[in-house]
Order: sequence, then C-alpha cells, then structure tokens
Amino acid sequence: MATIRGCNLPEDLYYLIDKHVWAKPIDGGLLRVGITAVAAKLSGGKLAAITVKAKNIGQEVKQGKSLATVESSKFVGPVPAPVTGVLVRANDALAANPNIAVSDPYGEGWIAEIKPSAWDAEKDKLATGASGVASYQAKLEADNISCS
Amino acid sequence: MDDKVMIIMTSGPDTPRRCATPFFFASLAVAMDYDVTMFFTIDGTLLLKKGLAETIFPKTGGKPVSSFMQEALDAGVKFTACTASTELHDLQPSDLIDGVKMVGGAFMWQLAEDCKTVLNF
Repeated sequence: MATIRGCNLPEDLYYLIDKHVWAKPIDGGLLRVGITAVAAKLSGGKLAAITVKAKNIGQEVKQGKSLATVESSKFVGPVPAPVTGVLVRANDALAANPNIAVSDPYGEGWIAEIKPSAWDAEKDKLATGASGVASYQAKLEADNISCS
Repeated sequence: MDDKVMIIMTSGPDTPRRCATPFFFASLAVAMDYDVTMFFTIDGTLLLKKGLAETIFPKTGGKPVSSFMQEALDAGVKFTACTASTELHDLQPSDLIDGVKMVGGAFMWQLAEDCKTVLNF
C-alpha cells in the first residue's frame, strides 16, 4: 500500500498511468479493471453514473479504447481499457451507486472483468510494484495532481 | 470504424437551460467511441458567434455555454453550421468561432442517413 500526494496507489496493481486505470489478475485467467484514486479525484468527486457499454460485453476492447464512461455534474469521460481483452462482465453494483468507484476504487468499485488477449505482452508495458508507483508519482508531480 | 451519431442543435441564447446538455451528451458520445457531429441551425448557430457563448449561463453561478462547447471540441466533437442559418442571423463565416465547418442542408440529410442515432435539441 502506497499513498502518493494523498492518492492511494497499491503496488500490487498494474497501471496504465496516462489513462488512470488499473488491472489486477484474478482467478480463471481474468483481469479485474477499474479507475485509480487519481481518476476518481479528477472526475470531480461525486459521480452521476458509470456505464459499461452493454454492446461491448462479449466483444474485444483494445487497450486504451473506451470500456465504460464516467459522468459527474462537472465531467464526462471514458474509462479506457488498461489492456486488450474481451469484456466478460460489468460490476452491477455501480448502477445502484457509482460512487463506490470513488470511495473504494480498488475494491467494491471495480468496473469490469476482462479476459486479456495478450496479457504476457502487454503487462510489461504497464506500471507495477514499487517502480510502477514511482513512475505514477512522477506523473502526478509533472501534472501537479494531488488527491488531498 | 466508429458508429456515427449526430446532434442537431436549434436552441440558442433565448433558452440558456437548453444549451448545456446537448454538448454534454456530445462529449459523452465521444467517450463511448462514437464519431460525433453537431449540426447547428436556427438559433443554435448564434452560439457559434465569437464571444457570445461566454455570456450565456445555463445555471446561475455555473459555467458558461462556451465552457461546455470547448469540452465537446476538445473531446473531438465536430461542429458544422448550416449556411442558410448564418444568413438568417446576418452572420459571416468569419464571425464564427474557429473549427466550425460551413455546410448546406443536404449535408445534414446525407449525414443523418449514415448515422445510427440523430438527436434534436
């Protein structure tokens, strides 16, 4: 567990830093994905909706392409896929309360589960571990972002 | 290729509360990987006049319409304006903000045929 500029950034996740999304391997060769505490901060705090495009379930979404959308009164934007993979399921709990993605972005507030198409090739390009968190810290400092 | 959608914007300065959501929906559609075009006609075209959208506030104390428009442009929404509607308002193409493509009504019909969805505000 690491806290950088007020942002909780666990070392055991794989980050696509520029897009502020994370991936974590789970059972069955799947990845759970979501937004980082940084994205939660940048989205303005109180969310109106997080929506996974239903048409995409069962389809392959390329790394960096939109997996879901985040809406708040101040902001609207995509949740880019951290890696290429087939969208298996969305987190149904987000429909009732999208703000779990802000209050618990790495736990109850995960966004989707995907079956990665090229995990071994793509994971090397994601930031992880202590060095990954250090890279994320550099990005936050360069962009002058803090979560507190 | 991404699916196309179009938003036809006819609301203008007389109805400020109708002038934020269309741009928000446009930005949202880009976030959903749609190829998004807004077609401004009737009073909607007035919003494209340089400096005007900065003075229109959908909500008192909130952001001006220009801010919603800039977010849509930054997201990649394409702005097109109906040439005939500029004549209605005595506007020259040079009176409009940068990045607007002037088109005829037939452009709108052809694009509508290519689009999955057309919204009208």
